[in-house]
Amino acid sequence: MVPLLKVMNLVKRFGGIVAVNDVSFEIYKGETLGFIGPNGAGKSTVVNCLTGYLPASAGKVEMNGVDISHMKPHERAHMGLARTYQIPRPFPELTALTSVLASSISGKKRINQSFQDAMYDATHYLEFVGLFSKRNILARDLTFYELRMLELARALATTPQLIFIDEVMAGLNPGEAKSAIRMIRRAKEEFGITVFWIEHVMAVLMEAADRIVAINYGAKLAEGTPDEVVNNDDVIEAYLGRGWREYA
Amino acid sequence: MVETELKRDRIVIRLGTKKWEWVLEPRYWRNTLIWAVILFLFPTASYFVSPGLINTMISANIYAAIAMPLALLTIGTGRMNFGPQFYIGVGGYTAALLSISYGWGPLLTLPFAILMCIVAALIFSPLVLMARGLYYVLLTLLLPLVFLEVTFIYPDIFKGDTGLFGIVPLLDTGNAKTNFLYIGYISTAIMFAYLWIINKVLKSRYGLLMAAINDDEDVAHSIGININKIKIIAFVCACTMIGIIGWFYAHYFSSFAGITYLPLTFMLKILLVLMIGGRAQVFGCVVGGYFIAFLEMLMIRFMGPIQPVLFPIILLILLFVLPEGLFGLYRKRRYREYLPTIHVRR
Repeated sequence: MVPLLKVMNLVKRFGGIVAVNDVSFEIYKGETLGFIGPNGAGKSTVVNCLTGYLPASAGKVEMNGVDISHMKPHERAHMGLARTYQIPRPFPELTALTSVLASSISGKKRINQSFQDAMYDATHYLEFVGLFSKRNILARDLTFYELRMLELARALATTPQLIFIDEVMAGLNPGEAKSAIRMIRRAKEEFGITVFWIEHVMAVLMEAADRIVAINYGAKLAEGTPDEVVNNDDVIEAYLGRGWREYA
Repeated sequence: MVETELKRDRIVIRLGTKKWEWVLEPRYWRNTLIWAVILFLFPTASYFVSPGLINTMISANIYAAIAMPLALLTIGTGRMNFGPQFYIGVGGYTAALLSISYGWGPLLTLPFAILMCIVAALIFSPLVLMARGLYYVLLTLLLPLVFLEVTFIYPDIFKGDTGLFGIVPLLDTGNAKTNFLYIGYISTAIMFAYLWIINKVLKSRYGLLMAAINDDEDVAHSIGININKIKIIAFVCACTMIGIIGWFYAHYFSSFAGITYLPLTFMLKILLVLMIGGRAQVFGCVVGGYFIAFLEMLMIRFMGPIQPVLFPIILLILLFVLPEGLFGLYRKRRYREYLPTIHVRR
């Protein structure tokens, strides 16, 4: 089985600091891959390298067998990569509908797509995330949860194959978090996308992820099913510290 | 004692116990056709009443015609350009030098002025990719000043001190008054052409992509917008449109001096047109252009020597009172309409 995305020996250095050190993993079509690690482990840096926001110092990234290591972010978006941000980054001066419309126009190339077609598309995605009634509100006036949903709609409107979700739970209350998770699952089922899910809250990924990759200090610690990773001694040590056995 | 109060959507006038309200109803004054008819009738009316007004109108049209491409430039590149007058210099000097050297008329010099502006804009277009924020502002601010210095360093070519004279005029009907009238119409036509083109572009899908770039460049890149391509195209087109105004100035006055257009004072006026009109709103640029040209004319006429001090003070007060500009009054009522404005980035 050919992996959808293959990351080989990814390295990212900022001057003398190695933020990502020789990380390799594969993502297969249709799965949900969890990506965990303590604060400052380099999770977001990996996503930034994979989406082209930061150029990788070394290593190779392949999508459907095509080398995308040197592609620019917009070319990667056209290949079918989309992302959401840890802290929502809306287009503040655009309305919710036009934000998604921009994404629908500029995402993966669709033949003969008119402005009106893109508008219908954008409406569909906005309705999917439950923001249709807020379509004419400026993005800067939306609540935090609505911004998260707008980001999801914006990412989905590019018709991605693989979507990077960066800490969707951050800043949401339990009820909102629950509906956000439900929304991502529904998106995965309805649009047949693959999800790469970065999360701090282990319980979420235990439930949602098919496989989990754990990293610490930029290097891969463990990879496997959620149960395997959670019971991995290195992962527990990374989260709880070296002396965790004494208190276990 | 009459008390006036400017509210969000109305002006309230109170006299003793009496109260009048004037609602700023946008339904009528937002109709572009009405304004177009008024503007086209204005030169003919002032031809018989006060021909001097045509001159003010030409200035207003030209201020608006410089501010509108500048709005496109600002929105399309997501950066505030402080040196649009550099391209006025390029277009103007190209037209002036060709006209003086070969005796060419305005129609012959126009394509060359456009070509030179395109070449100059292409040469400096990497600025929008490499520099952002304060660096971009400084670099664009320096360009016209460097060009001004060059006109002084090579006086044989540019005649930096006195300016170039003897350019073939834009029109010559034999009657100065009629010339003014026709040039008034030409300037109005240029202004309307720019308004139509830029409004169409900003309302199209490319305008939407430009607005996305203007709001957040990185996010725009990540959703699949080829930001470099759009920024360069917007930069080159807008700079060329500004350059055409240089050509107009050269043939309108039959003389062209860099010292008139390249210094900061002229740039400041254009930036004020942009901001007073309403933070890079295209229709606002027209309102701002007319407002500033007529305010300047009235102040020169009635204030005399105090005018250079009062003019900027009035404009600064207006910037403070109306941060969204004159067109912002309209936008507040109709925020649902998609109209990109500039987003000041840190």
